[in-house]
Amino acid sequence: MVKSGQPVRRPSGAHQGGSEGGLGPNSEIGRKLREYYNELVSEEIPDRFSRLLRELEAAESPGNDEGDGGSKPGERA
Amino acid sequence: MSQAVEFKAGLVQAIPSLRAFAVSLAHNADRADDLVQETLVKAWDKQSSFEQGTNLKAWLFTILRNEFYSQMRKRGREVQDSDGAMTARLAIHPGQQGQLDLDDFRRALATLPEDQREAIILVGASGFSYEEAADICGCAVGTIKSRVSRARTRLHELLSISDEGEYGPDAIASQVLGSGVVG
Repeated sequence: MVKSGQPVRRPSGAHQGGSEGGLGPNSEIGRKLREYYNELVSEEIPDRFSRLLRELEAAESPGNDEGDGGSKPGERA
Repeated sequence: MSQAVEFKAGLVQAIPSLRAFAVSLAHNADRADDLVQETLVKAWDKQSSFEQGTNLKAWLFTILRNEFYSQMRKRGREVQDSDGAMTARLAIHPGQQGQLDLDDFRRALATLPEDQREAIILVGASGFSYEEAADICGCAVGTIKSRVSRARTRLHELLSISDEGEYGPDAIASQVLGSGVVG
């Protein structure tokens, strides 16, 4: 019989993602979970979001005189 | 004014994680992006209610999650019921022994009941603590813990893996296979 009553605790402390709930680096589920998630996180961000934020900003301060510069806020440095 | 700039920068920075969380909830990239858009608009409108210095990402995740569930209610779709009836119909056969394919994992994850899936994503992938995840989901820390644990158990079952230790079926199987009885 498998002894399952033991709490899974990582001694390394810090509340990093995955270190809780037995999802740390030694857990295959934990690793797959982060692989799945990281793939989503690293997808390219559609332009609609930078457009949206510019619109929201413009609506907030109609008097802004910065003009419509050519640089895209959505682009990463 | 510069607080607003900071706030906007925070929103921009959070977009990739918001999208990842939204896809995990909605299973559909277009719908996920609509959710993120709604979230950004709402966040912008509620800007004044955000307390500087607190966790902006958690605040945004909360908005996104609320938006997701309120859309589900509007559409009359029901939250998958407790122990995922769909799961029984799903068979996942890992492609190779010991090699867990990401697609298999995705499918398994999709069959989890919503509350379990969001809990394991928040804690296991998005980097939130149990306490933060509980705040985001508006429930007790103990509830999050139990959801994470159930999600984990179910994923293990679905994917027939046992990373718990040496006593899993694989160990027994390899003992049997390795016992040298060859015809």
